[in-house]
Amino acid sequence: MIATWIDFFAEPFRYDFMVRGLGSAVLLSISGGLLGSVLVLRRLALLGDALSHSLLPGVAVAWILFGQGVMAMLLGALATGLLIAVGSTLLSRLTRLKEDAAFGAFFLVAYAGGIALVSQSGTRVDLLHFLFGHILGVGPTDLWLSAAAAGVTLLFFVLFYRGIVLEVFDPTFSRAAGMHGRWFQLAFLSLAVINLVAALQTMGVVLALGLFLLPAATAYLWCDRFSAMLLVSALLGMAGSVMGLILSFHSGLSSGPSIVLCLGACFLFSALSSPRYGLLHSLRLAWRERRAVRHTAD
Amino acid sequence: MAAHHDIFRLQDVTVRYGRRLALDGVSTQIPCGGLVALVGPNGAGKSTLLRSLLGWLPLTRGEIRLGDLHPRHLHPRLAYLPQRAEVEWDFPITVREVVAQGRWPSLGFFGRFSAEEKRRVDRALEELDLIPLAQEQIRRLSGGQQQRMFLARAIAQGADIFLLDEPFNGLDLAATAELLHLLQQWLAQGRTVIAAIHDLSLARAHFSQALLLDTRLIAAGPTAEVLSEANLDTAFRRHMPVLGARP
Repeated sequence: MIATWIDFFAEPFRYDFMVRGLGSAVLLSISGGLLGSVLVLRRLALLGDALSHSLLPGVAVAWILFGQGVMAMLLGALATGLLIAVGSTLLSRLTRLKEDAAFGAFFLVAYAGGIALVSQSGTRVDLLHFLFGHILGVGPTDLWLSAAAAGVTLLFFVLFYRGIVLEVFDPTFSRAAGMHGRWFQLAFLSLAVINLVAALQTMGVVLALGLFLLPAATAYLWCDRFSAMLLVSALLGMAGSVMGLILSFHSGLSSGPSIVLCLGACFLFSALSSPRYGLLHSLRLAWRERRAVRHTAD
Repeated sequence: MAAHHDIFRLQDVTVRYGRRLALDGVSTQIPCGGLVALVGPNGAGKSTLLRSLLGWLPLTRGEIRLGDLHPRHLHPRLAYLPQRAEVEWDFPITVREVVAQGRWPSLGFFGRFSAEEKRRVDRALEELDLIPLAQEQIRRLSGGQQQRMFLARAIAQGADIFLLDEPFNGLDLAATAELLHLLQQWLAQGRTVIAAIHDLSLARAHFSQALLLDTRLIAAGPTAEVLSEANLDTAFRRHMPVLGARP
């Protein structure tokens, strides 16, 4: 009995591609937890989602021109990511469009363009791999890219922790304190793009953000300290990746959706039952308050 | 640190936002070591003046100096409290951690948070009576407590010149009394407070110096003289279309 269970968990990782996929996902969970926490606290979750979708055309063009090369895809994604970010920022500053509409419009057009490009020059399977991830496609270079992305992101957070906290929590003070930087936005955006590209093979463009957003949103429901939130979201991301890959191996579901489903289960559980910030807690408070009011009225 | 003889010298300070003139040729001196009220109608440039004193705004004309220093070179002596602090109240952070941020400007990104730094944070928490709340998440504080937290951060920073934008807005009676008590203490310690204020009787009762603004400077000096009937009339008249209404 126990042996069967051990086998259930261990068998997937007897295959090299699974180990590489796992390595990549675990590494990206670290940077995903860090970046995701900032996304959640800065209310950039939807913009991040838009950004990840809009990387598709850049990746597709690189793929058509240079094949599966990781560097080309990274550069293509960086180019479209920056183009979309700059374009929508300009549009929201200079026209009456607000930021979400500008970003949303750009991302839809870019996403549609990307899908058109991939389906024109590839097969349906290629398109599915781009959209939902393809664990078999995780090569050694992808693993290196993941390690580099995680390393750079971790370094950024370790070095500029105080600046990051102030930038998210209280930009006015950060300015008065002389720790304010215009570079922050750009650095953050570049890190996000690098990590999204690194997550592409395992997660796919549609769900790549899941590895960033879900662990952070879950941790946010539990933690009252920023450092704890960073740590918890990174650990959650790792646990979710392991479970998701095992699920994917045994069920034949793509790796992206299965990881996101595992992380999603954690998120839903927390959203319901977190002792301080969960739904049940709020409902219980509201119910108690109503009862108290009724008793006073009597 | 507390330097009574320091004087903010404003020379022809003019600020434009696009085509709108926010401050028009303000020349005056603001002595440090006292409570100074900035009074004037909405849009008179009170916030703009505070931000200029911080050195944040490019002046269209004129200059501001404290001694021979540009305001930008004054922090950590300067502390600024915006009207309603635009911080992320749901940020996972405790009161103590916010107050500790006051040390960061001096420490920079990498400076070590030593035992001495911790003691300074403790003293700031104690001075503003925040010790019992130190471990609370900041959303759970009342309005007055939140304000005290930011003042404690300024104290931990080592500031002795406090620029407060409408600090009494939204405070209840008890919190107002508490803040006034605190300002009196700071006055006794030689600290400087420059505060934008709407409540004229409060300014008259507690602030020795005042600046009356309506884009240009109407009057500056001892509060009783500045807030005279005639001056207030000049500052507020064009904002009072209701016949016979008086400030």
